[in-house]
Amino acid sequence: MEIMRLVVTGPVGAGKSTFIRSVSEIEVVDTDRQATDETLLLKKRTTVAFDFGRLQFGPDMALHLYGTPGQSRFDFMWDILIHKAHAYILLVAAHRPGEFRYARRILTFMNQRSSVPMIIGLTHVDHPNAWEPANVGVALGYPNPFECPPIINVNATEAASVAQAIIKLIEHSTCECLV
Amino acid sequence: MAISTEKLSSILQNFVTSTNDVEGAALVTPDGLPLAASIPGGMDEERVSAMSAAMLSLGERIGSELARGSVDRIFVEGEKGYGVLTSCGEDAVFLVLANQSAKQGLLMLEIKRTLSELKLLLA
Repeated sequence: MEIMRLVVTGPVGAGKSTFIRSVSEIEVVDTDRQATDETLLLKKRTTVAFDFGRLQFGPDMALHLYGTPGQSRFDFMWDILIHKAHAYILLVAAHRPGEFRYARRILTFMNQRSSVPMIIGLTHVDHPNAWEPANVGVALGYPNPFECPPIINVNATEAASVAQAIIKLIEHSTCECLV
Repeated sequence: MAISTEKLSSILQNFVTSTNDVEGAALVTPDGLPLAASIPGGMDEERVSAMSAAMLSLGERIGSELARGSVDRIFVEGEKGYGVLTSCGEDAVFLVLANQSAKQGLLMLEIKRTLSELKLLLA
Protein backbone atom coordinates (compact mmCIF):
# COMPACT_ATOMS: atom_id res chain seq x y z
CA MET A 1 0.00 0.00 0.00
CA GLU A 2 1.42 3.30 -1.08
CA ILE A 3 0.87 6.28 1.19
CA MET A 4 0.75 9.76 -0.23
CA ARG A 5 0.91 12.67 2.17
CA LEU A 6 -0.93 15.78 1.08
CA VAL A 7 -0.72 19.04 2.98
CA VAL A 8 -3.56 21.55 3.00
CA THR A 9 -2.40 25.04 3.84
CA GLY A 10 -3.59 28.64 3.52
CA PRO A 11 -4.63 31.69 5.56
CA VAL A 12 -7.03 31.57 8.51
CA GLY A 13 -10.58 30.78 7.46
CA ALA A 14 -9.72 29.59 3.95
CA GLY A 15 -11.44 26.27 4.69
CA LYS A 16 -8.53 23.90 5.44
CA SER A 17 -10.16 21.99 8.31
CA THR A 18 -13.49 21.88 6.46
CA PHE A 19 -11.72 20.60 3.35
CA ILE A 20 -10.28 17.64 5.26
CA ARG A 21 -13.48 16.93 7.19
CA SER A 22 -15.43 16.77 3.92
CA VAL A 23 -13.51 13.81 2.50
CA SER A 24 -11.85 11.96 5.35
CA GLU A 25 -12.99 8.38 5.86
CA ILE A 26 -11.84 8.33 9.43
CA GLU A 27 -12.96 10.68 12.13
CA VAL A 28 -10.66 13.64 11.63
CA VAL A 29 -7.96 14.19 14.23
CA ASP A 30 -8.36 17.89 14.89
CA THR A 31 -6.70 20.19 17.39
CA ASP A 32 -9.23 23.01 17.51
CA ARG A 33 -9.07 25.53 20.29
CA GLN A 34 -11.13 28.57 21.16
CA ALA A 35 -9.78 31.52 19.17
CA THR A 36 -8.81 34.65 21.07
CA ASP A 37 -7.13 36.73 18.34
CA GLU A 38 -8.36 38.44 15.16
CA THR A 39 -9.40 34.95 13.98
CA LEU A 40 -12.56 35.61 16.00
CA LEU A 41 -13.75 37.96 13.26
CA LEU A 42 -14.09 34.90 11.02
CA LYS A 43 -14.80 31.99 13.33
CA LYS A 44 -14.90 30.78 16.92
CA ARG A 45 -12.37 27.98 16.85
CA THR A 46 -9.00 27.55 15.24
CA THR A 47 -6.50 24.73 14.54
CA VAL A 48 -3.40 24.88 16.75
CA ALA A 49 -1.37 21.82 15.71
CA PHE A 50 -2.79 20.08 12.65
CA ASP A 51 -5.81 18.27 11.24
CA PHE A 52 -5.40 14.75 10.03
CA GLY A 53 -7.68 12.81 7.73
CA ARG A 54 -7.37 9.70 5.63
CA LEU A 55 -8.79 8.75 2.26
CA GLN A 56 -8.46 5.52 0.30
CA PHE A 57 -7.59 6.37 -3.29
CA GLY A 58 -7.87 3.32 -5.53
CA PRO A 59 -6.97 -0.17 -4.31
CA ASP A 60 -3.33 0.50 -3.54
CA MET A 61 -3.00 4.11 -2.52
CA ALA A 62 -3.97 5.76 0.73
CA LEU A 63 -3.99 9.51 1.08
CA HIS A 64 -3.01 11.09 4.35
CA LEU A 65 -4.29 14.64 4.54
CA TYR A 66 -2.63 17.10 6.89
CA GLY A 67 -4.11 20.54 7.46
CA THR A 68 -1.85 23.27 8.84
CA PRO A 69 -2.81 26.05 11.25
CA GLY A 70 -3.38 29.36 9.45
CA GLN A 71 -1.60 31.81 11.75
CA SER A 72 2.11 32.40 11.18
CA ARG A 73 2.92 31.95 14.86
CA PHE A 74 2.45 28.25 14.10
CA ASP A 75 4.98 28.28 11.26
CA PHE A 76 6.97 25.54 13.04
CA MET A 77 4.01 23.29 12.22
CA TRP A 78 4.12 24.43 8.57
CA ASP A 79 7.78 23.46 8.59
CA ILE A 80 7.22 20.03 10.14
CA LEU A 81 4.35 19.17 7.83
CA ILE A 82 5.79 20.40 4.53
CA HIS A 83 9.01 18.45 4.97
CA LYS A 84 7.12 15.16 4.78
CA ALA A 85 4.61 16.18 2.12
CA HIS A 86 4.44 14.67 -1.35
CA ALA A 87 2.29 17.52 -2.63
CA TYR A 88 0.31 20.40 -1.23
CA ILE A 89 -2.66 22.61 -1.94
CA LEU A 90 -2.82 26.26 -0.98
CA LEU A 91 -6.38 27.29 -0.16
CA VAL A 92 -7.23 30.95 -0.57
CA ALA A 93 -10.56 32.67 0.03
CA ALA A 94 -11.17 34.39 -3.32
CA HIS A 95 -13.31 37.13 -1.77
CA ARG A 96 -10.72 38.35 0.76
CA PRO A 97 -8.04 40.00 -1.38
CA GLY A 98 -6.53 41.48 1.79
CA GLU A 99 -5.21 38.00 2.54
CA PHE A 100 -3.48 37.37 -0.79
CA ARG A 101 -0.24 38.91 0.38
CA TYR A 102 -0.29 36.66 3.43
CA ALA A 103 -1.06 33.63 1.25
CA ARG A 104 1.95 34.56 -0.83
CA ARG A 105 4.04 34.56 2.33
CA ILE A 106 2.91 31.01 3.08
CA LEU A 107 3.75 30.07 -0.49
CA THR A 108 7.28 31.47 -0.15
CA PHE A 109 7.72 29.70 3.17
CA MET A 110 6.72 26.37 1.64
CA ASN A 111 8.72 26.82 -1.55
CA GLN A 112 11.87 27.63 0.40
CA ARG A 113 11.60 24.28 2.16
CA SER A 114 10.15 21.99 -0.42
CA SER A 115 9.84 21.71 -4.18
CA VAL A 116 6.94 19.25 -4.20
CA PRO A 117 4.13 19.88 -6.70
CA MET A 118 1.34 22.19 -5.60
CA ILE A 119 -1.93 23.62 -6.77
CA ILE A 120 -3.99 26.61 -5.65
CA GLY A 121 -7.57 26.09 -4.52
CA LEU A 122 -9.93 29.05 -4.44
CA THR A 123 -12.72 28.90 -1.90
CA HIS A 124 -15.71 31.22 -1.46
CA VAL A 125 -15.85 31.75 -5.25
CA ASP A 126 -19.64 32.11 -5.12
CA HIS A 127 -19.22 35.37 -3.21
CA PRO A 128 -20.02 38.50 -5.27
CA ASN A 129 -16.63 40.03 -4.39
CA ALA A 130 -14.66 36.95 -5.38
CA TRP A 131 -11.68 37.54 -7.66
CA GLU A 132 -11.13 35.75 -10.97
CA PRO A 133 -8.64 32.86 -10.78
CA ALA A 134 -6.19 34.51 -13.19
CA ASN A 135 -6.13 37.69 -11.09
CA VAL A 136 -5.56 35.72 -7.91
CA GLY A 137 -2.64 34.02 -9.69
CA VAL A 138 -1.11 37.42 -10.43
CA ALA A 139 -1.70 38.55 -6.84
CA LEU A 140 0.07 35.43 -5.59
CA GLY A 141 3.14 36.24 -7.65
CA TYR A 142 2.52 34.46 -10.95
CA PRO A 143 2.20 37.23 -13.57
CA ASN A 144 2.87 34.72 -16.33
CA PRO A 145 -0.10 32.31 -16.60
CA PHE A 146 2.14 29.64 -18.15
CA GLU A 147 4.28 29.51 -15.05
CA CYS A 148 1.36 29.57 -12.66
CA PRO A 149 0.45 26.34 -10.85
CA PRO A 150 -3.05 25.05 -11.62
CA ILE A 151 -5.79 27.12 -9.98
CA ILE A 152 -9.11 25.48 -9.28
CA ASN A 153 -12.32 26.41 -7.52
CA VAL A 154 -13.16 24.37 -4.45
CA ASN A 155 -16.23 24.20 -2.28
CA ALA A 156 -14.63 22.91 0.91
CA THR A 157 -17.98 21.93 2.38
CA GLU A 158 -18.79 19.58 -0.50
CA ALA A 159 -17.15 16.15 -0.65
CA ALA A 160 -17.39 15.91 -4.47
CA SER A 161 -15.73 19.27 -4.98
CA VAL A 162 -12.93 18.48 -2.53
CA ALA A 163 -12.42 15.09 -4.20
CA GLN A 164 -12.06 16.90 -7.56
CA ALA A 165 -9.38 19.13 -6.06
CA ILE A 166 -7.51 16.14 -4.68
CA ILE A 167 -7.65 14.33 -8.02
CA LYS A 168 -6.31 17.45 -9.70
CA LEU A 169 -3.47 17.66 -7.19
CA ILE A 170 -2.53 14.02 -7.70
CA GLU A 171 -2.71 14.34 -11.50
CA HIS A 172 -0.53 17.40 -11.30
CA SER A 173 2.02 15.70 -9.08
CA THR A 174 2.21 12.56 -11.21
CA CYS A 175 2.64 14.51 -14.44
CA GLU A 176 5.35 16.66 -12.86
CA CYS A 177 7.17 13.50 -11.90
CA LEU A 178 7.14 12.33 -15.52
CA VAL A 179 8.65 15.55 -16.86
CA MET B 1 -12.49 41.82 37.42
CA ALA B 2 -9.87 42.31 34.75
CA ILE B 3 -6.95 39.93 34.67
CA SER B 4 -3.85 41.59 36.01
CA THR B 5 -0.90 40.86 33.75
CA GLU B 6 1.47 42.35 36.30
CA LYS B 7 0.31 39.90 38.91
CA LEU B 8 0.57 36.99 36.49
CA SER B 9 4.07 38.08 35.51
CA SER B 10 5.17 38.49 39.09
CA ILE B 11 3.92 35.00 40.00
CA LEU B 12 5.86 33.58 37.06
CA GLN B 13 8.99 35.54 37.90
CA ASN B 14 8.74 34.48 41.49
CA PHE B 15 8.34 30.87 40.49
CA VAL B 16 11.33 30.98 38.13
CA THR B 17 13.68 32.69 40.57
CA SER B 18 12.65 30.84 43.72
CA THR B 19 12.45 27.29 42.35
CA ASN B 20 15.75 25.50 41.97
CA ASP B 21 16.73 24.54 38.43
CA VAL B 22 13.75 26.23 36.78
CA GLU B 23 14.90 28.30 33.83
CA GLY B 24 11.68 29.71 32.52
CA ALA B 25 7.90 29.68 32.60
CA ALA B 26 5.12 30.99 30.41
CA LEU B 27 1.38 31.26 30.56
CA VAL B 28 -0.37 31.21 27.19
CA THR B 29 -3.88 30.96 25.75
CA PRO B 30 -5.05 27.58 24.41
CA ASP B 31 -4.81 29.01 20.90
CA GLY B 32 -1.17 29.93 21.40
CA LEU B 33 -0.95 33.60 22.34
CA PRO B 34 1.23 34.85 25.20
CA LEU B 35 -0.43 35.95 28.46
CA ALA B 36 2.68 36.31 30.59
CA ALA B 37 6.18 34.92 30.37
CA SER B 38 9.50 34.75 32.10
CA ILE B 39 11.63 32.83 29.65
CA PRO B 40 15.35 32.64 28.91
CA GLY B 41 16.72 35.32 26.58
CA GLY B 42 16.95 34.18 22.99
CA MET B 43 13.61 32.43 23.08
CA ASP B 44 10.78 34.12 21.26
CA GLU B 45 7.70 34.55 23.41
CA GLU B 46 5.29 34.19 20.52
CA ARG B 47 6.89 31.02 19.25
CA VAL B 48 7.09 29.49 22.71
CA SER B 49 3.39 30.24 23.18
CA ALA B 50 2.31 28.71 19.89
CA MET B 51 4.39 25.58 20.48
CA SER B 52 2.98 25.11 23.97
CA ALA B 53 -0.58 25.29 22.70
CA ALA B 54 0.08 22.92 19.80
CA MET B 55 1.80 20.36 22.03
CA LEU B 56 -0.81 20.40 24.76
CA SER B 57 -3.68 20.08 22.31
CA LEU B 58 -2.03 17.12 20.59
CA GLY B 59 -1.27 15.50 23.93
CA GLU B 60 -4.84 15.92 25.09
CA ARG B 61 -6.00 14.43 21.83
CA ILE B 62 -3.77 11.41 22.44
CA GLY B 63 -5.24 11.14 25.93
CA SER B 64 -8.80 11.02 24.64
CA GLU B 65 -8.35 9.16 21.36
CA LEU B 66 -5.99 6.51 22.68
CA ALA B 67 -8.08 6.11 25.84
CA ARG B 68 -5.55 7.42 28.37
CA GLY B 69 -8.12 9.56 30.12
CA SER B 70 -7.77 13.21 30.96
CA VAL B 71 -4.22 14.51 30.64
CA ASP B 72 -2.43 15.88 33.72
CA ARG B 73 0.70 17.03 31.96
CA ILE B 74 2.90 16.70 28.91
CA PHE B 75 6.46 15.97 29.85
CA VAL B 76 9.31 16.53 27.40
CA GLU B 77 12.54 15.04 28.69
CA GLY B 78 15.63 16.17 26.84
CA GLU B 79 19.33 15.72 27.32
CA LYS B 80 19.57 19.24 28.71
CA GLY B 81 16.43 19.37 30.78
CA TYR B 82 12.69 19.23 30.90
CA GLY B 83 9.73 20.99 29.39
CA VAL B 84 6.48 20.48 31.27
CA LEU B 85 3.08 21.54 29.99
CA THR B 86 -0.01 21.61 32.14
CA SER B 87 -3.38 23.10 31.44
CA CYS B 88 -4.28 25.95 33.75
CA GLY B 89 -8.06 25.97 33.78
CA GLU B 90 -9.94 26.37 30.52
CA ASP B 91 -8.33 29.58 29.43
CA ALA B 92 -4.62 28.99 29.79
CA VAL B 93 -1.71 26.64 29.31
CA PHE B 94 1.28 26.67 31.66
CA LEU B 95 4.78 25.88 30.37
CA VAL B 96 7.78 25.28 32.61
CA LEU B 97 11.37 24.82 31.45
CA ALA B 98 13.80 23.22 33.89
CA ASN B 99 17.38 22.03 33.57
CA GLN B 100 18.52 18.43 33.82
CA SER B 101 19.40 18.58 37.51
CA ALA B 102 15.84 19.45 38.54
CA LYS B 103 14.24 17.01 40.96
CA GLN B 104 11.10 15.83 39.23
CA GLY B 105 8.98 15.37 42.33
CA LEU B 106 9.80 18.80 43.64
CA LEU B 107 9.23 20.34 40.23
CA MET B 108 5.75 18.81 39.97
CA LEU B 109 4.81 20.02 43.43
CA GLU B 110 6.01 23.54 42.70
CA ILE B 111 4.12 23.54 39.41
CA LYS B 112 0.95 22.43 41.19
CA ARG B 113 1.34 25.17 43.78
CA THR B 114 1.95 27.85 41.16
CA LEU B 115 -0.97 26.61 39.09
CA SER B 116 -3.36 27.16 41.96
CA GLU B 117 -2.04 30.71 42.40
CA LEU B 118 -2.43 31.42 38.69
CA LYS B 119 -5.91 29.93 38.55
CA LEU B 120 -7.08 32.31 41.27
CA LEU B 121 -6.09 35.24 39.11
CA LEU B 122 -7.66 33.84 35.96
CA ALA B 123 -10.96 32.87 37.57
